[in-house]
Amino acid sequence: MLEGLVSQESLSLNSMDMSVLERLKWVQQQQQQLQQVVSQSINNSPELLQILQFHGSNNDEFLQSSFSQFQMLGSGFGPNYNMGFGPPLEALDECISRTSSCHMEPVDTMEVLLKTGEENRAIALKNKRKPEVKKREEEKTEKKIKVEAETESSMKGKSNMRNTEASSDTSKETSKGASEIQKLDYIHVRARRGQATDRHSLAERARREKISKKMKYLQDIVPGCNKVTGKAGMLDEIINYVQCLQRQVEFLSMKLAVLNPELELAVEDISVKQFQAYFTNVTASKQSIMVDVPLFPLDQQGSLDLSAINPNQPTSIEAPSASWETQSQSLYNTSSLGFHY
Amino acid sequence: MERQIINKKKRVFSLEPNKNPSAVFTRKYTSHLVPALKKLNMNKNSSKQTVKHEVDMALALSAQEFAWSRFLLQKLSSSTNPTTTTSSSDGIQILERSDKEGGNEEGEIEEKLRELQTLLPGGEEMNVEEMLSEIGNYIKCLELQTIALKSIVQDST
Repeated sequence: MLEGLVSQESLSLNSMDMSVLERLKWVQQQQQQLQQVVSQSINNSPELLQILQFHGSNNDEFLQSSFSQFQMLGSGFGPNYNMGFGPPLEALDECISRTSSCHMEPVDTMEVLLKTGEENRAIALKNKRKPEVKKREEEKTEKKIKVEAETESSMKGKSNMRNTEASSDTSKETSKGASEIQKLDYIHVRARRGQATDRHSLAERARREKISKKMKYLQDIVPGCNKVTGKAGMLDEIINYVQCLQRQVEFLSMKLAVLNPELELAVEDISVKQFQAYFTNVTASKQSIMVDVPLFPLDQQGSLDLSAINPNQPTSIEAPSASWETQSQSLYNTSSLGFHY
Repeated sequence: MERQIINKKKRVFSLEPNKNPSAVFTRKYTSHLVPALKKLNMNKNSSKQTVKHEVDMALALSAQEFAWSRFLLQKLSSSTNPTTTTSSSDGIQILERSDKEGGNEEGEIEEKLRELQTLLPGGEEMNVEEMLSEIGNYIKCLELQTIALKSIVQDST
């Protein structure tokens, strides 16, 4: 049975492209790294061989049905790697179903299996790992157990951030793998180099994710940020907004300083202001803030001059060379404009 | 006089005043600021600097759960002249300069982040992630502060 498979395979090998051979070499290299994962059960191998017989026919349907069968075998995944074929084969299904003209893959699988009977799991996972390794940049090459554990745990949708990242990348990169099946080995080389510095890149990625989350939150707060794309533009907007707000506060406090002698505030009146703020939609533009205030006296609405508290005005008032007298004069002018009714 | 009556008629009360954080902040803010202004008023010492000082102090006191408020308080207590907004004019210049650079994008972003740090009180002592989240609530508090100040000014004229 094995010999038959080999002969079948050697024939198909001759018709393969060079890239596939290179890929096989890569796979062999992977296997060498997988030497540590020698906890294969022999129980699975005959079943796997049986399944791989179907591979010889290069029939995707068979593949999928066989893998689903295999899935039944592997009940759950955990530290027991013998039964761990189920979940990754699920993804393997996805891979293979997406690779339209992939005669190579199952044959590769067979070939590699036959060469090292011990590393069945690695082989079965090979096709899954091909696109997945790309995104598994964080995994160390020497700790394949961990890799596969995480692969499978990502299948289970554990809430490990790395895995969720990886699984979010899965759909992108498996489809990528489908289209670039000829260049798979190149992509894998890149991934493997990235794997060498996994801890750093992982931490970097985590940090970048956090930062982008916060930028999104800021985008919601700062009005007008939605139109700008890219970090730099958004940061510009945020800076401008903060400066604008600070200038506004300064202007208002100056105004307050001018009007301070005339303050006749009773503490009870403050409650009105508090709930003006409570009901006002802060995210609206500066001018509409004044309009939206529901407790505004009706007779004032018509003649409200929004330019009175227009944030753009302070820039002219706050000209560095303005003396205190001219500033206060201009303040009086604007206040008379605004509150004239 | 009439206006005050109208305002009193339109008073609105919230059922759960402590749940809405913006209402809580605004209430705290005004409760800090108004007595301080009254005190200032009585002392007949209302220079621009002192009012600003009180304004910033009220801001810092009403938002004590945030890191930047602590820095602001430190600044205010150490110096009688608050310097929170004097960097605004410098900020504009820095922004123009970075536009002219046009070189490394990463560098630009970093420059802008640094500028943002200068705007935020105590921003220089924070790392980038922390600063970004602090900026978020600083902006919120600034907005609420402007609303409160506007309404105080409105009411007093």
